[in-house]
Formats: sequence, structure tokens, C-alpha cells
Amino acid sequence: MSLVADTTRWQRRAQPLLGTLVEIGVRSGSGDRQAAFDAAFAALREVQACLSRFEANSDITRFHALRAGECLTARPITAQVLVAAQSLREASHGAFDISLGTAPGGWRCNGDQLLKLDDMVLLDLGGIGKGCAVDRAVKALIEHGVDAGWVNAGGDLRAFGDAEVPVQLRDEARGGVRPFATLRDGALATSHFDRLSRSRIAGGASTKPLLAHVSVAAPLCLWADALTKVVTLSGDTSHPLLARFEARAWLH
Amino acid sequence: MRVLLAASALAAAAAPTSAFAVDYLSAEQAARLMFPEADAFEARPLTLDAAQLQQLDAQGVRGRSANWAVHAARRGGATLGFVVTDEVIGKFELISYAVGIALDGTVKQIEILSYRESHGFEVRLPAWRKQFVGKGSAAALRVGDDIANISGATLSCTHVTDGVRRIVAVVALARRAGLLT
Repeated sequence: MSLVADTTRWQRRAQPLLGTLVEIGVRSGSGDRQAAFDAAFAALREVQACLSRFEANSDITRFHALRAGECLTARPITAQVLVAAQSLREASHGAFDISLGTAPGGWRCNGDQLLKLDDMVLLDLGGIGKGCAVDRAVKALIEHGVDAGWVNAGGDLRAFGDAEVPVQLRDEARGGVRPFATLRDGALATSHFDRLSRSRIAGGASTKPLLAHVSVAAPLCLWADALTKVVTLSGDTSHPLLARFEARAWLH
Repeated sequence: MRVLLAASALAAAAAPTSAFAVDYLSAEQAARLMFPEADAFEARPLTLDAAQLQQLDAQGVRGRSANWAVHAARRGGATLGFVVTDEVIGKFELISYAVGIALDGTVKQIEILSYRESHGFEVRLPAWRKQFVGKGSAAALRVGDDIANISGATLSCTHVTDGVRRIVAVVALARRAGLLT
């Protein structure tokens, strides 16, 4: 594997966020990189504050308090993620379901208006929110003058600039890591699904979830993250949706 | 976008696994990030007695350890807050971290200091963990490539968040008991 690290120094920091450990790496510059780190971690916290089911004032918690027929004005981040989730729900014929089976058609997002259609619906953005958070953290780093680096939210990873990031895959059964890929200027999301896995996914009665690692590479982490679920449920690494988002998928 | 798969990637189950380690910050660097206005960090090692550990248990927070590594962030002789360092063991990983606590008892900042992925279940063996004791970032154990990242199933940070909750309770108890000023 070729490595930029041979000639370049990288600074890394990590914090527990989004229910996982988030690592940020930036190329050491002449100035103080801590402001860029702080802005990127703040961007991640902002996404968490909007989307987490566990934060009292998040849009999702507010949505859960609504009754069917009521609506709320979502913050721009929430609206962006929900509109993306909505388009994937339609394009995957309901397989991509952020209600995790509680009421797949029980919500709708029109612009920034989030409408509740079914009292039973509960939303969980765990399958797409981390990807969005990674994209926003990368944007914050670039705005602070960082020309190369990466953000890894526990397996939802995006590299930018000329950083070449070796990705290792954890053996969830026995421990240890194995070389998997090198990523440059793009996103890679990996999910592991089996009965004991921490990742949970709900599909319709006709779908048969895979027992495997699924990795998806795409230019944006939001799509890489979300498309791992589509590939998992369909078992199809050539799923037509992948091409629409310039994505590639692997089962391994 | 460019993704190169490693030669072993698609035959992953057959490839040997390796360990993995990253050092992010030393305890001192983390303390300075958390309290940049501090002019000194004074060690305030904390030892809880059996009754205090029982009090923590009664609050639903298992004390786990009697001894805690605490530093007071000071400026001009006044205390600004506290920094506590700790480590937790996950399924295969050992994570050390620092928690900054403000004077009102709330969490100001959490920073991961180091992350060690074991080959497997040796993370449970004291001998494996002991090799990292007292190693700061200067004495970093380097395993594998410098900037490697782990993917796979989402790493849970449950152990860290439980640890942070425990530290908040320990600091509050110690301050009520007059052990931390």
C-alpha cells in the first residue's frame, strides 16, 4: 500500500460521538490545527443534536412527541438527511426504512416540514446520519484551510485532498484487524450484519438480510453509509441505485 | 474517488490478523486543550474509601476503582476545573481517555488519548495491557501503518460513556467530601 505518511506528518484526535469513536486526521500545517479540529468536532455534535433519538431537543425527539397529522419545522441538517432517506425509500421500493419497520410510510418531509402520518412511527437515523455527520465535518475542515485529511466515525470514513488512508477491517468474531483497502478522495462505509452484531437493520418480510460485511464506496459518506443497508437487504452488489450515486459495493 | 482493495481483502477470513495502536494525545496535551487558560495542572490523586465506593454503588454507578488520576486545572491559584484520566476495556480494545470537568460538575470535554486493538481476547490479559502502562505518545507502540483506520462493525463507545458517567459521579462525591478543591 502506498502511504502519504512516509513523507507527511498527520495530526489525529478522537472523541466519543454519534455512539461511536470519531477520529479526525489532518495534515500538519504551519498554523494551529486545533481550531480546525474544534470546528469539525462541533459540526459532528451539531448533527448529533439534530438527529439523535437520545437528545431531548433533537428534531427526532420532537417528531416522536407529535401526533399523526401534526408537523414540525426541521433544522436544515435534519431536512437534508430526511429528504435523502425519503428518496432512498422510494428508489429502493421501501427497503431503506428509517422507521425500522414501525411504519415505513408513517412520515414525510416536504422541504423543511416534517409531517407525521402514523402514531406508531419511530425514526432511527443510525443508518444514514453518521455519513451525513462525516461529510459535514470534512466540510468544516476544508473551510478551516485543511488541504488533506480524513474523518472516521466508527467505520463511516471519508478521505479528502491527497490523503491516502489505509483501511483495516476488524474481525468481529475473533478480534484483530486485516488490511482491506486504501481510500483516497472519497467515502467508504462498512457494516457487519449478523445476529450478534451491534448493527441492526429491519427489512420487509420478503427481504432476507445477509450475514456478511458490506462495504460501499461513494464520493459522499451519506450515500456510502445509507447504501450499505440497501446492499445488505438486496444482497446485490450491482444494485441499480449504486450507479446513481457513483458508488461501488463489496461483500466480504 | 479511488479505492484500492488490499490483496487479502476478498479472502479476508484467511488472512492473518494484526494488532493496531494509535496515540492521539498525551494526558498533558489533552488537559491543555480542555483548559487553555490554565497556568498550572496540579496532581490531585484521589483514593476513595470503602464507604465512598458504597455510596457510588448506591447511586447506581459502580465505583470499579478506589484510585483515580485527577489533575486540577489552576490559574492564579484558583481552580478552574478537573481533568481525570482513565482507561476502559472493550470487546477487543483498550481505550484510554481524559474527561474535563467544569466547576459546576458538568463535562466540559472528552478526548481519547489512545486506542489499542488487540489481536483478540488477549485484551483481557493483564500482561498484554501492562505493556502500555506509562507509555505516553512519545513512546508510542507503532503497529502497522502510521495512518491506518479501522472499519468494520461500528465500534461501540458504550464503555467510554459509562466510564465518563462514573468519573462525573466520582468527582462530585470527592468534592462533597472535601477531597478535591
